[in-house]
Amino acid sequence: MTDVTVTTPAPVPGFTWTGRILGITRRSPTFAIGFLIVAIFAFIAAFANVISPFGPIETFSDKVLIPPGSEFWFGSDGNGMDVFSRVMHGARFAFGIAVPSAIIMLVIGVPLGLIAGYKGGMIDEVVLRSMDVLRSFPSIVLALAVVAATGQSLINVVLVIGFLDAPIFTRLVRSEVLALRSSGFVDSAVAAGNPTWRILFVHLLPNAIRGSTAMIAVRMAWAVRISATLAFIGVGIQAPTPEWGAMIRQGAEFIISGEWWVATFPGVALVGIVLGFNLLGDGLQDLLDPRRKATGK
Amino acid sequence: MTLRHFLRRRLLMVVPILLGITFLTFMLLRIGDQDPVAMLGGPMADEAALAEIERELGLDRQFFVQFGIYVGKLATGDLGESWQSSERVADEIRNRLPASLELLLSAVLLGALVGVPVGLRSAQRPNGVFDQVARFVSLFGFSVPTYWIALMAIFVFFFLLGWAPPPLGRLDLATFPPTDITGSYLVDSILTGQWSTARTAAGQLALPVILFSIIVAAPIIKHTRAISLEVLGSDYVRYAKSQGLRPRTVRRIALRNSITPVLTFIGTELTGLLAAVSLLELIFAWGGLGQWGLNAILTGDFAAVQGYVLVLALFSVAVFVVIDLLVLLLEPRATLRP
Repeated sequence: MTDVTVTTPAPVPGFTWTGRILGITRRSPTFAIGFLIVAIFAFIAAFANVISPFGPIETFSDKVLIPPGSEFWFGSDGNGMDVFSRVMHGARFAFGIAVPSAIIMLVIGVPLGLIAGYKGGMIDEVVLRSMDVLRSFPSIVLALAVVAATGQSLINVVLVIGFLDAPIFTRLVRSEVLALRSSGFVDSAVAAGNPTWRILFVHLLPNAIRGSTAMIAVRMAWAVRISATLAFIGVGIQAPTPEWGAMIRQGAEFIISGEWWVATFPGVALVGIVLGFNLLGDGLQDLLDPRRKATGK
Repeated sequence: MTLRHFLRRRLLMVVPILLGITFLTFMLLRIGDQDPVAMLGGPMADEAALAEIERELGLDRQFFVQFGIYVGKLATGDLGESWQSSERVADEIRNRLPASLELLLSAVLLGALVGVPVGLRSAQRPNGVFDQVARFVSLFGFSVPTYWIALMAIFVFFFLLGWAPPPLGRLDLATFPPTDITGSYLVDSILTGQWSTARTAAGQLALPVILFSIIVAAPIIKHTRAISLEVLGSDYVRYAKSQGLRPRTVRRIALRNSITPVLTFIGTELTGLLAAVSLLELIFAWGGLGQWGLNAILTGDFAAVQGYVLVLALFSVAVFVVIDLLVLLLEPRATLRP
């Protein structure tokens, strides 16, 4: 095999991007809607400082608690800041927490799952048990305790969320590896003399990660939710940072007196993005595993 | 294996788990940079006063000595005293737990009563209109933060419509709590025939319970649907159908086989909810365990946090034992196995 000629494959006749997009939309409307929502929020996050009318902490001290209107679309809060601009900037925190914590979950969880599944025995046992202890804690309590104890910064929040969710991916990857361990391609890779790390990360990883893709979106939804919850309780990110949970906290005191807009709009954004990620995850599962649609698993 | 053996084994297995959780909490609290001594001393305290507080709390001793003392007291059932209020932690828990359980259990009951039938109905015709709507509602329940929907509901039902009472606890200020029997104000006042108290308690309970049941029902719908679909696609249901049994009979067979996994799932879900309910307690000033625990974490009340985490763990153990016993009762195939 010396003369290998590489030719670019001719485009499949009838292939168009619009056709492809329509096809996916038909196969899983859930995915399409979720993707659209997340894409809109990503756009807002990327261009928040261009499209928002005011700065996120720009204060108009003479215009406190103005109801939604032509000047402030979502009203102004107790400090005289524009809620609309703040909600838009909040999208940056949502992605700034969801994406890095998802990376941490994968970086910790996936290798552990690969090793535990492939090696089995004691290693498997130890990894599984320690993950069980971590999972048996109510995650909100653990998150609260850790963030309250290790200081209130964005990085800590991200780290805690990443750690707490790593076991989920360990379990998923491990069960995939268990099924793949005795398959032909792994045996051949061993026979060809590949080192273990190569088998794990080059041969097994691409096959084992598929089942986790949908879960990534679902856990990103959770990450956005729990970080907002922490901020609402008052640990983690603090006001006047334009984070949605912190903004709902600011608005909570005005609810009883009728200034509803301060807490409402950041909450709507929060529900929107979390719903978007959840729909995305649900739809991904439909697309990746067509059997599931029929059996509902 | 008799029932007594089974219970004894389960309780023995609990001990290492509780010890592990206690140790983890103990360690996390102490390696953090939350400074309870400074919080208790206040900004005006001088060096000597701070050292005195530290000595009183035992924080000046070695970590393992502290842990040993704590576990030693724990073995005799002593949870220590709250660092903030100096009340005994065990008493605080005993006083507050009923409030949380009242809220939690009513919400789970309501959530299951709605969620299970909806999930079963969804599975009847997957991807039908009913299923699509139910799926969206369930995803919404997954996505909406408890505290936010609670604030919205307070705005609409208290401020705008005036249907709900002010969110200030379990009874209005003019009403005294009923005689303590079960700890639930609603049940107790009905048992003792205090109808006006019962009405007040029910009124205070309504909004938080309905809100929380939405959060509870979402995963129940999803899992009941999945479990039911699996059962409906199973060989024995296909066999039953091919025998020409009436659809109603087939449905009954399917339902009978779905109950156990659904019940087990609700149990697993329940264990996490005692912590989740704390946010709702905070907003409705419920005075329950969750609100107290949350406050303990924020104020660096280590003794109280320790007790709170222990109760959460014990609660989940208790739920699992109850679920196991229920499964035993409902499932002829189940036997007592460790």
